[in-house]
Amino acid sequence: MPGKPPPDEVLHIQDLHITVHDGAATAVRGITLSVGPGEIVGLVGESGSGKTLACRAALGVLPAGCAVSQGAISFGGENVTGLSRRGWERLHGTAVGAVFQDPASYLNPNLTVGGQLAEVLRVKQRLARAEAHRKTVELFAAVGLHDPERVFHQIPAELSGGMLQRVMIAIAISCDPRLLIADEATTALDVTIQAEIIELLKDLRDQRNLAVLFVSHDLALIRELCDRVVVFYAGEAVETGPVEEIIDRPRHPYTQALLRVASVGDFQRRELRVIPGQPPQMGEDVVGCRFAARCPAAIDACRSGPVDLLPLGPGHQARCVRAGDPELDAAAGAELAAR
Amino acid sequence: MTAPITDPAIAGPTRAPLLSLDGVDVVLGRGWRANHVLSEVDLNIWPGEIVGLVGETGSGKTTLARTVVGLIRPRQGRVTFRGAPISGLRRAARRRERRSGHVQLVFQDPLRSLDPDLTVAQIVGEGLRIRGGVDEAEIERRAAGALAKVGLDQTLLRRTPGQISGGQRQRVSIARALAVDPELLLCDEPVSALDASNRNYILRLLGDLRDTLGLPIVIISHDLSSLAGIADRVVVLYRGRIVEDGPVAQVFTAPRHPYTALLMASAPSVRHDRPLTVHQLRRTAADPAPPSAAGGCAFAARCPFAVDACAVRPALVPVAEPGTDRWSAACHRHAEWQPLARERSALATPH
Repeated sequence: MPGKPPPDEVLHIQDLHITVHDGAATAVRGITLSVGPGEIVGLVGESGSGKTLACRAALGVLPAGCAVSQGAISFGGENVTGLSRRGWERLHGTAVGAVFQDPASYLNPNLTVGGQLAEVLRVKQRLARAEAHRKTVELFAAVGLHDPERVFHQIPAELSGGMLQRVMIAIAISCDPRLLIADEATTALDVTIQAEIIELLKDLRDQRNLAVLFVSHDLALIRELCDRVVVFYAGEAVETGPVEEIIDRPRHPYTQALLRVASVGDFQRRELRVIPGQPPQMGEDVVGCRFAARCPAAIDACRSGPVDLLPLGPGHQARCVRAGDPELDAAAGAELAAR
Repeated sequence: MTAPITDPAIAGPTRAPLLSLDGVDVVLGRGWRANHVLSEVDLNIWPGEIVGLVGETGSGKTTLARTVVGLIRPRQGRVTFRGAPISGLRRAARRRERRSGHVQLVFQDPLRSLDPDLTVAQIVGEGLRIRGGVDEAEIERRAAGALAKVGLDQTLLRRTPGQISGGQRQRVSIARALAVDPELLLCDEPVSALDASNRNYILRLLGDLRDTLGLPIVIISHDLSSLAGIADRVVVLYRGRIVEDGPVAQVFTAPRHPYTALLMASAPSVRHDRPLTVHQLRRTAADPAPPSAAGGCAFAARCPFAVDACAVRPALVPVAEPGTDRWSAACHRHAEWQPLARERSALATPH
């Protein structure tokens, strides 16, 4: 194992492997990623690509039957892999907060949303009742809820989906974590509300130097928010780099395919493209590149052995034997520019 | 792919609309709970066209679809199909209309709308079985045919919804609707739960069904950019009222209602070259207070361009634009706000 991760990284994941079905299959195969202070890193990929499992490992809440079989996760240089349940409980809220797709299912429908946040503060920070109330109202205002004093006394059913997601974000950041994990946090929201939540996350990053790990299947959304991107495919990181690099000069054919199917906001009629084929089954062992079967640029070398992440520029890497092949890049570049 | 039918000689107002909603009002709940979900909705669907119906949560999109298929009875106004009223039918007449399968609805979430205990074959054949008049062999033949139309393999027929992928489930929902040979397909958020590749696959499939079967399709969606690739016409709902209705190419190039423009500016995009940003289309603290008359424009409270005239509800009126006779918007300032928007700051103002 390489040396200790630099302590200035809020989250560092090194060579993470996650097995599912009690070790019968490997769903995440050697993910390495890091998030610095005030940085927003996006994880993008199809459903089943392992991005949610990687997040849950970083939260210490893997579902039953799943386990970290190899690799390490650390917060600010402190190794948290294999931490006990009590150990994780100590970190939840104070080191890492999280928001998910369906805010209503994480709140008690019978209690006021303010009471639910105040309870977190009273337990985690041992605040007195009046103090917890005051700080709750402050947090509600910080996440852009209008009339926070009124919202405090409302129950989840009285609030819209966008307001509930703001409440969840307020709860997630209530104990000043350095890292926020947002797993498909805007997927269920209207586009107008989604745009507002994206702005809120940017504001929180700017005001609190919050690090954000943002998971989405929508590359267009990642583009709007993130500084860096990790592209997941069938349990592996196939490309990683600064967001402009990934969007303007994608080097992995899967990233190029994702870009061809992504939404373009000019609303012109263009052919709706699809990525033909299916990803390999979870746990299926593939010799060589896992994307080769669907790849228009695959050659024999792709199927002969494991493919490593190839450095292509500052912070830019791709897991493709043909990455950097001028012929491949020229073809993809011309096609993407035509969109 | 053949060209969409936009020739007015084929699809234009000279021919009768397939489906018409005239002044439809829907109120859900009673007494203090009563909620006016749809108000004075006038909408025509013409043969062979794909219409995108957009709006946010609570705008009445789903209620409109459910009203068309007779699951909800409008308080006022009427729904006609091929000129015959289908709203307000009772008992046997209503049952007959539903079983005819003229209008088929594809629901939003296939996991919740498909019976988890039935096989794909049973789900797709159920409509025919309920309608009666055909034997089992014929039902199976048609179910297999419907599955082929959506590009699914026959080997899926013996599986249950839990054993197939999300994209396949949505195709099964569409096959179920196609099995009864509908004349109009209504799809409620058919792609909102899918990733980009599967979303495009389903939209292309709907486009192909229109081209090969001539089937008119209404697609309800909150995702405007995906509609741009497939729909001929777009209808925008805001709080139960139609605020803009027109050809996709024109509406998405130069929207006439500020709400349509806000929806467009909010859609995520891999390119950063929008004509207007959300900040140019949202109210800020610096904007003068909007008129607060109860009967006024419902969007005025969110509209940065609202003026005193907006205290009176704007009617849906034709947009005078050469070459388009089927574009209308409900905004007093539909021809005025665009230059005002361009003058506003494209960036967020600090609060």
